[in-house]
Amino acid sequence: MTESAVEIRNVVKRYANHVAVRDLSLIVPRGSVYGLLGPNGAGKTTTIRMMLNIIAPDAGTITVLGRPGGDREASDRIGYLPEERGLYPRMQVRRLLRFLADLKGIPGKAANVRIDEWLERLTLRTAERDWGNARVEELSRGMQQKVQFIGALLHDPDLVILDEPFSGLDPVNAQALKDTVVDLKRRRKTVIFSTHVMDSAERMCDAVCIIARGVKVLDDDMATVKSSHGGRHVALALEGDVTPGVAAVLADRSLVARVDASNRFFEVELAPEGDSGSLLARLVASGARIQRFERVQPSLHQIFLRRVGASGVEEGVSGHG
Amino acid sequence: MGRLGAVVKREYMERVRSKWFVIATIFGPLFFGLIMIVPAWLSIRSTRSTEKERVIVLDATGTSLGRGVADRLRGGLFGDTTGARVIAVSPAALADAESTATAAVIRKEATGFLVLGEGAMRDTTVRYAGRNASSIAEVSRIERAVRDAVIGLRLEGLGVRSDAVMGVMKMRMSVDAEQITERGRGGSGRVQFVFAAAISFMMYMLILLHGTNILRSVLEEKTTRVAEVVVASVRPGTLLAGKIIGVGGVALTQIIVWTAASTAMVRARGPIMAAIGVPGLTFQLPSVTPATIALLITFFLLGFLLFAALFAIVGAMVSSEQEAQQAQQPLMLVILAPVLLLQPILLNPMTKLAETASWMPFTGPVIMPLRLSLVPVPTSQVVLSLIVSAVTCVAVIWLAARIYRVGILMYGKRATIREVARWVRQG
Repeated sequence: MTESAVEIRNVVKRYANHVAVRDLSLIVPRGSVYGLLGPNGAGKTTTIRMMLNIIAPDAGTITVLGRPGGDREASDRIGYLPEERGLYPRMQVRRLLRFLADLKGIPGKAANVRIDEWLERLTLRTAERDWGNARVEELSRGMQQKVQFIGALLHDPDLVILDEPFSGLDPVNAQALKDTVVDLKRRRKTVIFSTHVMDSAERMCDAVCIIARGVKVLDDDMATVKSSHGGRHVALALEGDVTPGVAAVLADRSLVARVDASNRFFEVELAPEGDSGSLLARLVASGARIQRFERVQPSLHQIFLRRVGASGVEEGVSGHG
Repeated sequence: MGRLGAVVKREYMERVRSKWFVIATIFGPLFFGLIMIVPAWLSIRSTRSTEKERVIVLDATGTSLGRGVADRLRGGLFGDTTGARVIAVSPAALADAESTATAAVIRKEATGFLVLGEGAMRDTTVRYAGRNASSIAEVSRIERAVRDAVIGLRLEGLGVRSDAVMGVMKMRMSVDAEQITERGRGGSGRVQFVFAAAISFMMYMLILLHGTNILRSVLEEKTTRVAEVVVASVRPGTLLAGKIIGVGGVALTQIIVWTAASTAMVRARGPIMAAIGVPGLTFQLPSVTPATIALLITFFLLGFLLFAALFAIVGAMVSSEQEAQQAQQPLMLVILAPVLLLQPILLNPMTKLAETASWMPFTGPVIMPLRLSLVPVPTSQVVLSLIVSAVTCVAVIWLAARIYRVGILMYGKRATIREVARWVRQG
């Protein structure tokens, strides 16, 4: 058994007017939760589609679960939740799930048992109502999302690929999804998910890869990512409004390299020559009423902004990227 | 069950379960039955009805011509016209009589009036005016009545006895056309004609109906993004093949149900006709050999595959119903071509046009079955048609598979011809 769930080597994918992925290489360790991060149009969906052999790379090789791309046996062990959710609207939920199970080669009886288990687990089948007998179009959006999760996980895949799983999810369903990911991790399954929501990625991922404009910017486990960017960040919370004095301190480039301000909470990156002691002294002297002052590791959000920057965002190419 | 099996099963079962399939499948034979029974029933009803409508015959010839015409108008399409009123007028009073008759027609006391002018015995034209003047059948009936009456009177004038004239004029002649095939004589030409028309109509309708279903199915998977989930598990080619086989299975199911029901209805026509009071009609069944049936089914399958693939191409190129409406117009022209040829070929299946159309790509799968069920077709022509159709089919399916593979993952806008050409080249 190889160590990696997915190995991508020097992969290139070109479309008519742009290159979606340039010379991308990455390794997803088995049993990890792996975040594929990047702005819209960075090439995340293209990379995922190539892992699933939905589209073929123009150059490079992809190995999934130890087998070359497109291998039937490997594809049966992958569960996929696409970014654009898709279900047959007029099909009965149970029949639809049976069809998805058929596609993965799960025999009928086993599929029925699993479908009922999942429907109960995600409260689509209760004492009052069995939504499994309803048609997909009769379900609310949230319920349809749940059906889509079930479809991706029904065959108990070893590798689960979730493309933007949190987009359009209400908090309850988002929690259900997080619980499911944690459960998969506990059962030694590999989970790859793409997102541009850094908070979720930071809390859930063992390792991340940031890509922008089809190029890999960063690829490492979360601890390394954090520590290699760490040590020079301060979390700062203030009481009341920001006074001109405080603003002047935070704008002093000899002390502060950059500030990510969220009204009364600031994530401050110290300048190379600055230190946290003098920052605290200057803030107190300027009359700031400090609620919190703490040396922290940078958030993934900060790292992302620093590495990708505003220039990494390409407009209008999403959907194929 | 394999992946292909799963796709085929879904496409087939979801369609067969739908209300529309059940309605269409039951409605088909019912429609066939109605076509068979209603005309017979109507003709019986109309001969029974005693309509009060009559024709006024204005006779200015001074002979018994008006009486003769009235006699000949009796019965038939007008119903009981014993009261067809003959008014003898002098040529001078004809104009006044015409206005009176016009008023009577307007008051609905008569259907119309026939003017037999002074020279009606020599003329080749007489005038008729009435509410039913636009009915070709009724006007030609009046024509016949006048012609027969004039001929009768002239013959009497030449010394032929009037009862002999009546006897000769009443004689009817009809041609009983019989088909001659390689197996010798057999089958009625007219029955064969009806059969051929029905077969080609049914095949055409099924191809169109289920071809459109393929388009919708492809489009639905695109717009709902299901395609992406499915092609993560199966190859696009498998999905396309499963779709075409599944929908084709639905079409075959419909054919089998329709054929079985129609056969049963034809067998049971005696009691059905008797139940609605129509006397037993002699009814000949078309003569079709099992080999012809096998060929008909082969051509249907080839035609279905061909057009299904074309519809799948359109479905993969567009991303909404509106775009589909536009994009399928050129395809509709290709599909309509055989229909424009249906009538001339049905009337004359032995011409060069018929021969050519029965092996040309796209028209072959519809026209050849039509000729096969009408006339004996040389084996060489059948083989040529089969080969051309099969090659076209393979080429179009190859094209469809390439376009489909890329097209189903393209959202948002209709693909241009140039883009589609690139998808095909990408290979």
